[in-house]
Amino acid sequence: MTNTIRLFVGSAGLLLLLVVSGIAVAGPLDPGYAKAFSCSACHGFDGASRSDTVPVLAGMQPWYLKKTIQDYASGKRPAAEMEPYAKMVLELGVDDVAAYFGRQKKQPSPVRLDPAAVERGKAAARQCLICHGQDGKGDTAKGIPDLTGQPPGYLQNQILLFKADRRSPGDDVVKAAKAIMKTIPDAMLGDLAAYYSSLR
Amino acid sequence: MRTLSRRQFLRTSGTGLGLGLLTAGGLAGCATTVGPKTGRRVVVIGGGWGGATAAKYVRLADPSIEVVLLEPNRQFVSCPFSNLVLSGVRSIESITMDYSGLRGHGVKILHQEATAIEPDKKRVRVGDDAIEYDRLIVSPGVDFQWEQVEGLPAAKDTVLHAWKAGPQTVALARQLQSMPDGGVVVMSVPLMAYRCPPGPYERACQIAWYLKTSKPRSKLLVLDANKNIVSKTGLFQAAFKNYPNNLEYRPASRVEKIDTSRREVTTEIGDKVKYDVINLIPPQRAGAIAVQADLVGADKRWCEVNHVTYESVKQKGIHVIGDATIGLPVPKSGTVANSMGKICASAVVHLLNGKEPPQMPPVNVCYSWVSDKEAMAVINSYRIAQGKVVMIEQKLTPGASVAFAQNAEGWARSIWSDILG
Repeated sequence: MTNTIRLFVGSAGLLLLLVVSGIAVAGPLDPGYAKAFSCSACHGFDGASRSDTVPVLAGMQPWYLKKTIQDYASGKRPAAEMEPYAKMVLELGVDDVAAYFGRQKKQPSPVRLDPAAVERGKAAARQCLICHGQDGKGDTAKGIPDLTGQPPGYLQNQILLFKADRRSPGDDVVKAAKAIMKTIPDAMLGDLAAYYSSLR
Repeated sequence: MRTLSRRQFLRTSGTGLGLGLLTAGGLAGCATTVGPKTGRRVVVIGGGWGGATAAKYVRLADPSIEVVLLEPNRQFVSCPFSNLVLSGVRSIESITMDYSGLRGHGVKILHQEATAIEPDKKRVRVGDDAIEYDRLIVSPGVDFQWEQVEGLPAAKDTVLHAWKAGPQTVALARQLQSMPDGGVVVMSVPLMAYRCPPGPYERACQIAWYLKTSKPRSKLLVLDANKNIVSKTGLFQAAFKNYPNNLEYRPASRVEKIDTSRREVTTEIGDKVKYDVINLIPPQRAGAIAVQADLVGADKRWCEVNHVTYESVKQKGIHVIGDATIGLPVPKSGTVANSMGKICASAVVHLLNGKEPPQMPPVNVCYSWVSDKEAMAVINSYRIAQGKVVMIEQKLTPGASVAFAQNAEGWARSIWSDILG
């Protein structure tokens, strides 16, 4: 038996951690548990995305997840891969789903980062601090999301969408943020994304 | 990739039909033992996308339930992404995983084949032994209807399908690699319904991409039994245009006969086509165990199920998930099988605890790779209305792109962790 345990911990230590944390907070009694089944195919078991371009939902602030689902469903945030699911989540009950992921322990993206890129990104992030905060965790009261620990590819893709006005087009709330993003060269976006992905 | 050389062994209780102890060697020599049923037990047949997910999620929802998974293969080889092995874009190792994560959830895995189901006795036969269950989840995948193609039953070991990822995938890739430039590859697509509707067309793109980049004077000829491309039609038509010299698509060309000595197939309209490499994807039905247990309908092919619990409409206490099912407006895809696995597990746990199962619809996303770097997707969402699964919406990505391919990569990593992690 000892061999089995050693093997398991050795070969799948990271998974074991994920699994244990999952058991601790998940449960069939949670009203969002079964409703969130749909999400894990792409967003990972309990919302711990393994992907570079699909965001981590584990530990996401419920208000932000709800807003996101509403924006995808309405087409304000156009995405072929999310629109049908967003409509489905609205039918199932977005509050339950958002609360469920909000209760999961945050699982920072496992995508490996280049330390040099993170350092460069820190310098480039000066303009972002004003709204997203020194720690990158945003401000719920102002509707500014937490960027920390999200996959770098996802963060970079979102900035590109904002810059091209393909995310929330015409929305006054993000007008100023978009203006700032447009001043950042595309070549620097990878570094910026790496920095925010590295924050915990 | 770790090789698993330790041989599994089976110990019977000695007297007649063993209801006693079933033992199979575990990964590190720690034997998995399944004794007589003491508490509540769910048996899962098949450790693919549906079955492995179901086994894990029963344990997650109620750890007091014993879960026994019967799966002959010691490793999980992903069918999604296996077409990329044919083109050499991916290695077979990169889509091969083990079952250690499931053991970590307390799933007892026997690498044995279920030989029969005895619904009246609520037990599964494994050779001379039997395992009792309270509820049974059958995720049998597909088996091939060799007899539908003349000459195929006698040649089924040499004419490759590569439609179950594994040794045949590697063998077909080798055949493509060793074919001289200027050769003809023939691939046949069966009539719907079959596993993974867009799969043959993705495979066509992968083989054509390989030929275009490595053997430019060679050609792939796709003989499709269907009247047109059955999935992502416009997107695949556009993708095929990237391979004008290396890919020819012929609809309504069901392969009726194969003659391996002449290296020739004959289609329903009488066309005779010579090949250097053949990839014949035969018509399919639910895995053999589903037929044996009379879970299939009058067509003897697919299993009709309750849309909320996945309980067979023919056998009480037996649930069927994955590609073997019919009647839901969903494709036979890995994402759907994974989805069904979770919903069925939840339903089974509710039923074993005397509770009403929640009404949860499945989801679908199918990514298809059209080159070494670009992919596209179809997305479906569903609701349950009057006890039946109905579609809310289907969307296609606007085309194939590198960005969608990145999402495809992420989907694979995330769903593999959902199934096995």
